[in-house]
Amino acid sequence: MTINLSDLLNDALNEIEECKTLNNLEKIRVKYLGKKGHITSQLKKLGSMKTDQKPSFGQEINKIKNQIETKIKIKKIELKKSSIARNIATQSIDITLPGRKRLLGSNHPVTTTLLEIENIFLNAGFLIEDGPEIEDEHHNFTALNIPENHPARAMHDTFYFDNNLLLRTHTSPIQIRSMEKQGVPIKIIAPGKVFRRDSDLTHIPMFHQVEGLVIDQGISFTHLKGILHEFIDCFFEQQMELRFRPSYFPFTEPSAEVDILSEDEKWLEVLGCGMVHPKVLDLLDLDSEKYTGYAFGMGIERLAMLKHEIKDIRLFYDNDLNFLEQFK
Amino acid sequence: MKLPAEWLKEYCDINITNEQIVTQLTMAGIECKLLDEPDEIIDISLTPNRADCFSVLGVSRELAALNNRHIKSDQINQTKIDHSDEIEIKIESPKDCPIFMTRIINDIDVNVKTPVVITKRLNSSGIKSVNIIVDITNYVMLETGQPLHAYDLEAIDSKLIVRRGHNKENITLLDGSIKTVDQNYLLISDVEKVLGIAGIMGGENSGIQPNTKNIVLESAYFNNETIMGKSRILNLHTESGLRFERGVDPSIQNHAIERASKLINECSEGKNGPITNSTSSSETPKRHPILLRSKRIQQILGITIPNNKIKEIFSKLNMEIKEQDYGYSGWMVTPPSFRFDINQECDLIEELARMNGYNNIDEQNKQGEIKLNKTSTRSIRINHINNLMSGLGYSEVINYSFISPSMSMMQEEHINTICITNPLSVEMSIMRASLLPGLLNNLLLNLKRQHRTIKLFESGKVFSNLGTSNQEKEMLAGISYGLRMDEQWITKLETINFYDIKGDLEQLFSSLKINTKIQYKKSTHTMLCPGRTAEIILDGKTIGYIGELNPELSMDLALSEQPILFEIDKNILKLPKKIVHHDQTYFPSSRRDISIIISEEQEISEIIKVINTLNIKELKNIIVFDVYKGKNIQIGRISIALGLIFQDKSRTLTDNEIDTNMSKITKKIFATFNIKLRIE
Repeated sequence: MTINLSDLLNDALNEIEECKTLNNLEKIRVKYLGKKGHITSQLKKLGSMKTDQKPSFGQEINKIKNQIETKIKIKKIELKKSSIARNIATQSIDITLPGRKRLLGSNHPVTTTLLEIENIFLNAGFLIEDGPEIEDEHHNFTALNIPENHPARAMHDTFYFDNNLLLRTHTSPIQIRSMEKQGVPIKIIAPGKVFRRDSDLTHIPMFHQVEGLVIDQGISFTHLKGILHEFIDCFFEQQMELRFRPSYFPFTEPSAEVDILSEDEKWLEVLGCGMVHPKVLDLLDLDSEKYTGYAFGMGIERLAMLKHEIKDIRLFYDNDLNFLEQFK
Repeated sequence: MKLPAEWLKEYCDINITNEQIVTQLTMAGIECKLLDEPDEIIDISLTPNRADCFSVLGVSRELAALNNRHIKSDQINQTKIDHSDEIEIKIESPKDCPIFMTRIINDIDVNVKTPVVITKRLNSSGIKSVNIIVDITNYVMLETGQPLHAYDLEAIDSKLIVRRGHNKENITLLDGSIKTVDQNYLLISDVEKVLGIAGIMGGENSGIQPNTKNIVLESAYFNNETIMGKSRILNLHTESGLRFERGVDPSIQNHAIERASKLINECSEGKNGPITNSTSSSETPKRHPILLRSKRIQQILGITIPNNKIKEIFSKLNMEIKEQDYGYSGWMVTPPSFRFDINQECDLIEELARMNGYNNIDEQNKQGEIKLNKTSTRSIRINHINNLMSGLGYSEVINYSFISPSMSMMQEEHINTICITNPLSVEMSIMRASLLPGLLNNLLLNLKRQHRTIKLFESGKVFSNLGTSNQEKEMLAGISYGLRMDEQWITKLETINFYDIKGDLEQLFSSLKINTKIQYKKSTHTMLCPGRTAEIILDGKTIGYIGELNPELSMDLALSEQPILFEIDKNILKLPKKIVHHDQTYFPSSRRDISIIISEEQEISEIIKVINTLNIKELKNIIVFDVYKGKNIQIGRISIALGLIFQDKSRTLTDNEIDTNMSKITKKIFATFNIKLRIE
């Protein structure tokens, strides 16, 4: 009986050892350990044995069963590993072939620039205000100290509708609307589209501006200079040299243009600004003696052109994918 | 305005280079540049407030102040008076014309050649030489800023009348153009006819002719408010009109007429009459003292300028300054006659800042307290939507807000559009009521540029007329055309269809947590294809459309494939206020599939809706995993395969429970719809 068992074990171990495939290994498992397998049928004999023989036979057969199971387990891992090794050797791919490209779109550079500017000012505690693109003469001109026939109205070639309505020529009317709404102190920027009746190599009839307005007690020209210098440095991500030179806007006094020094040592105009004209506050019934403040306005396309070295402003509105995709 | 540098230097004795002149002036608010021409010419762009610099005299004054100099004395000895002829003057409205000076000069030689020094300077300034008299009036205008006019004495009938125009009065001008004016215009006339539009241009009938012998010189001060805006309305931009509408110095008329007389006498002789002066001193602008407070300077500029510096600056600018004791430090400052831009304290403060140098003002980086009282989600929202759209493959475009009539006709809302009264061209004359025509244009351009996969989006305002008011609405729109992905070895060439774009929108909506509330209803839209168009509905309100382009439009635009378009109201695309986390469940889900055959007309969403009305809480999701029509399926019918996914939060569902639910579902849909089970 015992001889039988050890032969059985040796046969099984040999077969497992010689086995080359996982399929065969499974067949061997069934042959010995399956429901009708050799080991299983030996186990079945236990029932009909004499009580004193049972324990030793039981122990013996279980030991053999464990040995076979362990051997199969080890063999299985061995076979899997060699199968992986074979696969690795035969299933190599050309990793230089291009990957599957889904479409990826892009933000318009004007939007990107606008968001960059908004973020800089948001970090400085400014709120963002919005206003209508179709404006009335009052908010676009009169309330900004630009009375009818004022030469400054001629500077802004304006698109008109019936009923004294017009396409806003700047984002400055949002200043007025915001102060009407929330009074002072105020600290806002107002981005948006503006329209001028102008079209040539360097002018387009629609472009984008960001207007800024800060009014509070104790705000002076020094604050204006400070914030704009910081803004320019942040926007161009480097220390910039800039100059403020006197200019004229009906709604600011003193007024200034800000130039930055380009890499080729040229002064380039980037924005206009000034201290809010007391008349603007007076017209809104705000106390211009108590409150002072500054306002500034900048062209987004102009800043985007400087930053991205875009030479022709009209490219922004061709909407050619060859242009747009460069800003992915 | 262009002026030769040497002319400026003649008035102002300064020893600096032309480049320095340009920098000095620019940094003082007189923006200019040096033109590279054989004779160095300074090109000056004046801001509207600085009309006082519209002359050699004015710019020199500024330069002198900047360099601590005085301009060379411009006193002119009175010219000789040879006879006593005068022309009668009648000023009907002294308010429009406070000062009107004339002088008759007889026996001039109008055919004498203009001296080279004059023609050269006129040329440099862009003014053509005409004849000696006109050249001298122009020359004196450039020199002093005072526009002059010369009439042929013989052409004037009896007297010169300064009056408002009559309704629909016509006048033929020196340039041959005929203009119609009305009561808003100031005219110069004689008893018979109109001789010119005051301050803008003279008439054809009274100009200097080759045979002119005797002339009348006019040197006037017109109220700039009377002249303002008229050149623009008449489209008649003259050097004279430009100066008068911005304002000339009301104290320079006598000087200018004497200066012109002297030059005329020097060049073409002539016999001078006396100067006829019709001045209404009550209407002549006067300069008043303005209060300037020391503390206000500090308040506005944020710096302290020493008192002696303040006095020095104002006296350099020819302003009278008197210290006053108000219990605080202050001055009364009176600007000179030519600085009518200086009317208020803030104007004086600007002068101080300007002369002190803007670059000598500090930069203050402490911007008061920073309050984070409200947060603006605007940027985040734009960022979110834009990044999502570009992630879905769309490139952002920005189109002009105005479109052509033919583009406008395509629009669903083409009736209540808003038209610009003065468009740049008819192609840009109507405010868009939809973003879709613009996107179609962008598609055509990019097809021309040989792109094969085109996905574009735009967000922007559209406009419509609501009768009494205009509406501006922010929209988000997209267009998609051609291949699903660029041609590549690993992907079959497949053309996009309606469901690609609907899927994009579903992604957008689910990122904003509104996808489950959105409904799609078969609908029509002028630009879209009937049967392939859906109205997008949120909370019972139409928020937009999605569909294939109307095939008739595709034919007109010669498109070989169908673009898919959508346009939705952007205001509903709000970021969710907060995202609430739901407890995850870790118990396994079970799936049951069911294949049914339904009528082609049957909308699947209806079937799913009916299943959902059963409110089976374990039913987590229904997916449509196959839609088939063709072989083995009756014509007019369609096979749909649904996968129903069941899951419970607190335990593993038994087969029995799921089977019960499945039979509830099948019973319900079989009772509601004309459905057959598909058996393979």
